[in-house]
Amino acid sequence: MRIFNGLTLGAGLFATVISASAQAEEAKVAAIVKGLDNPFFQYMQKGIEEQAKADGVGVTVQAAANMGDATGQADKLTALAMQDFDCYLTNPISVSNLVQALVPVAQKKKPIVNIDSTIDPEQAKAAGFGVSTYIGTDNVAAGALAGEEMLKLVPTGSKVALIAGIVGDVGSNARIKGFKQAVEGKLEVVVMVSADWDREKALTAATDILQAHPDLAGFFAANDIMALGVERAVQTSGKEVKVIGLDGIIDALKSVAAGELSATVAQYPYVVGAMGVEACKAAAMGKELPANVPAPVLLINKDNAEASLKNFPRPGGDYPDPFREMLK
Amino acid sequence: MSLPADNAPAAPRAGATEESRPSLAALLLDPSFWADWASVVGLVGLVILFGITQPVFLSVANLQALLLAAAILVVLSIGQTFVVATSGIDLSLAAAVMLGAVILGLANAAGWGVFAACMLAVAATSAIGLLNGVLITAGRIPDFVVTLGTLSGITGLGLIISGGEPTMVGSTFLLKLASGSFGPFGYPVWVAIAAVVVAHIALYHTRFGVHLLATGGQAESAAALGIRTDRVKIAAYTISGFCAGIAAILLVARIGSAEPQINTSLLLNSVAAVVLGGVSLFGGRASILGPAIGALMLTALVNGLTLLSVSAFYQPLAVGVIVVLAALIMRYQK
Amino acid sequence: MSTVNHIAPSEAILACQGLSKHFGGIRAFTDVGFEARRGEVTAVIGDNGAGKSTLIRCLIGVHVPDGGTIYFDGRQHPFSNPDEARKAGIETVHQNLALIDELTVAQNLFLNREIVRRIGPFALLDRKAMKAQARAMLSRLSINVPSVSQRVRRLSGGQRQAISICRAAGSGAKLVVMDEPTAALGVQETANVEALIRKLREQGVSVILISHNFDQVRRLSDQIWVMRAGRMVATVRASETSGNELVALVTGAA
Repeated sequence: MRIFNGLTLGAGLFATVISASAQAEEAKVAAIVKGLDNPFFQYMQKGIEEQAKADGVGVTVQAAANMGDATGQADKLTALAMQDFDCYLTNPISVSNLVQALVPVAQKKKPIVNIDSTIDPEQAKAAGFGVSTYIGTDNVAAGALAGEEMLKLVPTGSKVALIAGIVGDVGSNARIKGFKQAVEGKLEVVVMVSADWDREKALTAATDILQAHPDLAGFFAANDIMALGVERAVQTSGKEVKVIGLDGIIDALKSVAAGELSATVAQYPYVVGAMGVEACKAAAMGKELPANVPAPVLLINKDNAEASLKNFPRPGGDYPDPFREMLK
Repeated sequence: MSLPADNAPAAPRAGATEESRPSLAALLLDPSFWADWASVVGLVGLVILFGITQPVFLSVANLQALLLAAAILVVLSIGQTFVVATSGIDLSLAAAVMLGAVILGLANAAGWGVFAACMLAVAATSAIGLLNGVLITAGRIPDFVVTLGTLSGITGLGLIISGGEPTMVGSTFLLKLASGSFGPFGYPVWVAIAAVVVAHIALYHTRFGVHLLATGGQAESAAALGIRTDRVKIAAYTISGFCAGIAAILLVARIGSAEPQINTSLLLNSVAAVVLGGVSLFGGRASILGPAIGALMLTALVNGLTLLSVSAFYQPLAVGVIVVLAALIMRYQK
Repeated sequence: MSTVNHIAPSEAILACQGLSKHFGGIRAFTDVGFEARRGEVTAVIGDNGAGKSTLIRCLIGVHVPDGGTIYFDGRQHPFSNPDEARKAGIETVHQNLALIDELTVAQNLFLNREIVRRIGPFALLDRKAMKAQARAMLSRLSINVPSVSQRVRRLSGGQRQAISICRAAGSGAKLVVMDEPTAALGVQETANVEALIRKLREQGVSVILISHNFDQVRRLSDQIWVMRAGRMVATVRASETSGNELVALVTGAA
């Protein structure tokens, strides 16, 4: 009985394994991203896989079990490092969790492409390697775009409120910082609260803020999920308050198109993933890569929301891509 | 005392008969043998399966990496085993690891020596275990409620003291701990081996171990014989906290920073390893080698699936299937 | 209590005077005097709720009495927990046997008085010695179990009862207290356990036996104490009484 169970299990696993057999391509890329429990990284994975197919590159995408699985991500990268890939595409959970796992990769002199979240350069240097290139979005610039849009939407001197993510989150801080810089001296930031990236918490916080500041003109939320929660609170209050989000998730684009959210600043994890694969291919061809490549950030408002939705998860328009030029 | 043979009671042949060792065939036919050794059978099965399908799996480098990756989970599974043996469960284990890591990081950043910081981290997580034990025994609150409460409390505490931000720990000692090796194994593996040996002796060769199993098996009976079951339970939770502290040190060494993020898979896998290891969730029956091998097996599973390029989506599913199967097998233990 | 004859203290292994215990407003027993003589089997009988079990629990330290004094082995002994009583030499065979199913026979026999070897600051179990002594303990009382390494879970009811009694008697206890030792057993197993109790007595162990079974009490014991409605109402020599008299004493029809 027990042996039988074991065999059934073994056979099941074996079947899974066979179906996932590898194929032969001119270059093989190993990609390790953060938890796939978040749509952001699912689009990144999609970008990686579709670009790899387009470029004729073989790719294996692995991910951490969740956003807290720093060691699990390192373990998986360690396993990938055992195998013979031509380039390693890494989106680390923290600035340091993959450093040790990358040491054997560096020893084999394989290029390391860092996307989205940075690897701490000093720790990398201490461990004896450097990344070939970093591709990511500039959160400060994205926040500034949102701030500039807010300036267009509300009169100078209006009151605005900020909804941040988890306290101390680097991304949240950068986005808020960009927004504040853009509106400094022109708008009055009356309050900033943390809603932990959570829609319901943002809704509750916004409801309270609207009670406390009846003359509020606008909200900036550090991500779209929270912005959608804020928008719900604004609708319930019946007031005319502008809400701007950031990320460019599909629900937010729909909301902008429907005239609910005023705007969102779209980042493109799909493009980050795709550019990463291009960078890997270029590196495998022996090209010199630029150290730092900003991924596109676009402001989406009523004018371009439909076009963005149509192309989702790709951007609505063209964007600068140095790697594409290299591969030509 | 004299032994009056002429007035013997009804039992015809007196005394315990000679120890009889069951034959191998009888052993193989005994369902409880398979239940007890589910983790070993599983591990051997996985090694064969992955060894055939992906030769890299059996390379020395990969096996070393696998053991290194398993070290943290092995230590945590041992802690969880002591608690489960008392028929309890420690849901705050992964959170305690996080808090231990954060305390280590902050103490180190505040200028403490790395040894002192490690001691402080272990003391803090042990204190959490102690608190769990005291609340469960003195407060007469069910274990999962208490540890769920401390799970949330610790999560908050970790965020508060860290301000939600990670702390770099650039200690050369920890770097050496994580990357250095002695003989065939890395230091973390030796730490795990030491933990297994110490825990095995504590469970099987000390009075505490017997009292732990008695408390988990039939607490009332144990108490009637004068075993202080409350103390035993408190000790079990404190050991669990202590193990969380050791795991926190290994974790910080491995990822180079202390982060206020809880890795929930560590908690789930620690319980899974305990189940795979043939430890009864109703208490009273435990081993140390079983859960350690269970932890190894879970790590080997993820390692093998990664090597085979199986999508990350399928990996939790595979772990889930194996754990539930193991739990099913456990039903035959009696 | 005119029927309660006092004996010289040196003859009593255990004695108590004026013992009372209340749980909240509920009186378990009041002003109880009781003695168990050295080397004898002393029975306590009474109807359900008469206070027998609570009295015994007070004598072995499970409950602390509200008033009165307890003498054990010639000294005044207020036991605050069963462990103290155990250390003083009172062993108890509980109604639920207090066996741990998942532990082996040997582990159960030595539970909470394990034999250890000291290695520096550490104390490790001497499993070999415990197994050997367990075999000796079992054979001294002519108890038959397949192996001392067997888990108790796999033993029959009679075997479990025997293990429990063996544990109580085996540590050189001065007094063994048994609460309904044959209540859950069949005829043959009951006979085995009764033989075991006789054997204890022959070996000079004092026994206190709580039972519902008047015939058994008359067969096994030397002295019988009767409780009714929280009081000790009578004591008789087993050889000088009849079943009918016991029934009358227990029900209060005398």
